[in-house]
Amino acid sequence: MKVLLEAKNVSKHFGGLKAVDNVDMVIYEGDIFGIIGPNGAGKTTFFNLCSGVFPVTGGEIYFNGENITNLRPDIIAKKGMARTFQNIKLFNYMSVLENIKIGFHIHSRTRMWDAILHTSVYKRDEKLAEEKGMEIIERVGLKDYKDILAGNLPYGMQRMVEIARALALDPKLLLLDEPAAGMNPNETMALMEFIKKLNHEGYTIAVIEHDMKFVMNTCNRIMVLNFGKKICEGDPEYVRSNKEVNEAYFGKGIVVQGGTM
Amino acid sequence: MNEIILKLKSIYDKYKIIIILAGSILLLLVPVIFPKSYIMGIICRILLYIILAGGLNVINGYSSQFCIGYAGFFCIGAYTEAILALRLKINFWLLLPIAGIVTAIAGLLICLPTLKLKGKYLALVTLGFSEIVRLIALNWSSLTGGPMGLKGIPVPKIFGIEFKNSLSYYYIFLFLVAIFLFVTRRVINSRIGRAWMSIREDEQAARSLGVDTSMYKALNFMYGAFWAGIAGAAYAPYTRYIDSTFFTLDEGFNILSMAIIGGMGTLIGPVAGSIVVNLLTELLRPISEYRLVAYAILIIAMMWLRPQGLFGASKSILAGKEIVKKARKAEKEAAA
Amino acid sequence: MEYLLNQIVNGISQGAIYALMAIGYSVVVGVTGLITFTHGEVIMIGAFASFYIFQYIGNNLILGIIASFIASWILGMFIYYVCYDRFFEAPSHISLICTIGASMLIRNLAQIYFGPNQKPMLNIIDNKVYRIGVLQVSLMQIVILITVVVLASILAFFINNTRWGIMLRAVSQDKKAAYLMGINVRKTAMIGNCIGCGLAGIAGLLISIYYQTLQATMGGSLGMKAFSSSVLGGLTDTRYSALGGLAIGLIENLGITISTASFRDIFAFGFLITVLIIRPEGFASRKGAKSQ
Repeated sequence: MKVLLEAKNVSKHFGGLKAVDNVDMVIYEGDIFGIIGPNGAGKTTFFNLCSGVFPVTGGEIYFNGENITNLRPDIIAKKGMARTFQNIKLFNYMSVLENIKIGFHIHSRTRMWDAILHTSVYKRDEKLAEEKGMEIIERVGLKDYKDILAGNLPYGMQRMVEIARALALDPKLLLLDEPAAGMNPNETMALMEFIKKLNHEGYTIAVIEHDMKFVMNTCNRIMVLNFGKKICEGDPEYVRSNKEVNEAYFGKGIVVQGGTM
Repeated sequence: MNEIILKLKSIYDKYKIIIILAGSILLLLVPVIFPKSYIMGIICRILLYIILAGGLNVINGYSSQFCIGYAGFFCIGAYTEAILALRLKINFWLLLPIAGIVTAIAGLLICLPTLKLKGKYLALVTLGFSEIVRLIALNWSSLTGGPMGLKGIPVPKIFGIEFKNSLSYYYIFLFLVAIFLFVTRRVINSRIGRAWMSIREDEQAARSLGVDTSMYKALNFMYGAFWAGIAGAAYAPYTRYIDSTFFTLDEGFNILSMAIIGGMGTLIGPVAGSIVVNLLTELLRPISEYRLVAYAILIIAMMWLRPQGLFGASKSILAGKEIVKKARKAEKEAAA
Repeated sequence: MEYLLNQIVNGISQGAIYALMAIGYSVVVGVTGLITFTHGEVIMIGAFASFYIFQYIGNNLILGIIASFIASWILGMFIYYVCYDRFFEAPSHISLICTIGASMLIRNLAQIYFGPNQKPMLNIIDNKVYRIGVLQVSLMQIVILITVVVLASILAFFINNTRWGIMLRAVSQDKKAAYLMGINVRKTAMIGNCIGCGLAGIAGLLISIYYQTLQATMGGSLGMKAFSSSVLGGLTDTRYSALGGLAIGLIENLGITISTASFRDIFAFGFLITVLIIRPEGFASRKGAKSQ
């Protein structure tokens, strides 16, 4: 199996707070990799480190064999890592289709002159954005909503638009930050199926989730974070039976903080 | 307001070719219809400010960087044209792009240090920059003529025709406005324009999609500055005399008022802004000292009632309010 | 050398005035969370208020200070209701444009009613000069320094030790949390804004005494300097903003030793740009300056 994303001893400190502390992680090609943990465990911070939103305090991150530590988010995106955000970051005032068209940014190379003179490059890019954009919209089942402003959609649909927009990048790795938050049970079920389907199509996916059931049913490998530290990594069965994980989620008789680490 | 705009749009779409043809013939005949140089003077001003407000709108309206000292770029363009025309006797038509490029480079130098900061910093830096440019124009007497200004700037010629009054100069301005609108429209409707708008709506999201935001912000700023340079280069031989008092901060606020009142984030907004504000200026001529007071009140009123301006992009973050509220509501529902 | 030393003294006293403006600016920005363009105009109104008091009532510095403070406090209320009150929820560029509008409005009305030309400020402090070795320190400079230090201490006491001060700090750190703690955020923001404006008004009085002139258009470059100073201080930290003001005063006065006085503003501005390149978060490394 080929290693797609590898984190080596990655740390992020905010002042005295160790939001992410010496985490090692490997995502293989073809994985649906779940990252779980209680609130404030540093999951989103870890994602932000991988996608370049924050610089790391220590450690290194390799993507597809390349060192991407502390690169800018847009460069990392160009290398083939797309993500969604926990607090949805859609272009609220643009239609669904326009949102997705922006996702094709890295696959087009129109320059100022091309745009002004409508050269063949421009025409190719616009055609690509329009056609592939529609294709993706159909795939996520939002065809009827393509001209509606993204900000006006209900929450669950906004999540889907964000995933669709990330898919427009045609990424090697898709990072989903709590994709099921704010969805009703039906939508969540559909999302789980969709993620599995994407995986079958060849996408590698990493997903942060609170919902144990969601992660256990979709992911083939899981990492558990607590207080910024990795406490467990393995397949769902292993994680389910792990004592530390159960303690982190449900507590134990006498809670001694840090005692289990 | 929004319904009226939609209605106008549908009419336009229906009779597109006829409207464009009739419109261009009408525009070409304007000097024949109004042979008075007073009226043509006003029309020339309107055209000049369409380029200026439009260029500013590309910066403020499309990428939501905030430039206030736009008069500084206007000043650089005008002085570049005047100095090169007087000293090196370079042809006007060549000087137009030269002035544009010089100004675009100045724009790049100004926005580079502020790229990583919030847009508001850029706002104040441009304000300072504009004032510095004016001070340099005022004090560097050997180059700019200092307080005496530059006189006798040669008028443009083409095929033996001299553009020496507002009746003939109208065609130069009209030509430039046409090019400006055509080019800007095409840029806005391309990947570049989409990248600018994505930065305006949510910079972090744009970055996560692979948009090199720093590069596109710089490009945006240079594009806006470029047109200020063109406008300046066209303006200097029109008045045939420039000095630093033409390019004060008030001039910058004047341009800004047009962009804000007409509406930002659309091509038509600054056109409307230039027409409305310049006509208002004529109306207020008897009490001209209240001119800027009136603009100020209009700006505040716009922000209170219609933040995107008369014809601004109502489907954008510029319009504020509505969607923000809706999104909050959705968030609350999701949390509950 | 002698000239240089005296320029340093001038720089410090001028810098002290900038510091006061910058303190006001960072209080305003902290409490409203929004950048303002009206600060220069507030400074100008403060100067004119004391000018008319001196002209019609008498040469009393304390009276002038009170007049400046009250006038700019009232102006601060006006600015608050026009530019901030209804826009806390809206995208921040809207209130930014509003402050630009308000600044245009105030400046142009001032130009109409106070006249566009420079006015000579009345000489309310004796022109005494003390010599300490080669140093020349004028009485005016001493008075300015004392005034600034006293006002800054009062503000520091107010912010750190009173109930209102704590509320102000809470609001400038986190509006939502302050609201949940039962603080009237709007009222507190207004009072904070007015305090910042009041300090700026007094700074306006001092600067017009220092230069012996005042003018309706003086606000533009002064507002710029107040902004620059507080950027140096990380925008919302009053202590570092004050340091930033001192730095700009010094740079300006040292700058004109190597060129002419007409390039004064160019030095201040060049310094700001340099700092923005090297250390965009200012002296104090707090969040705020960097874009998210």
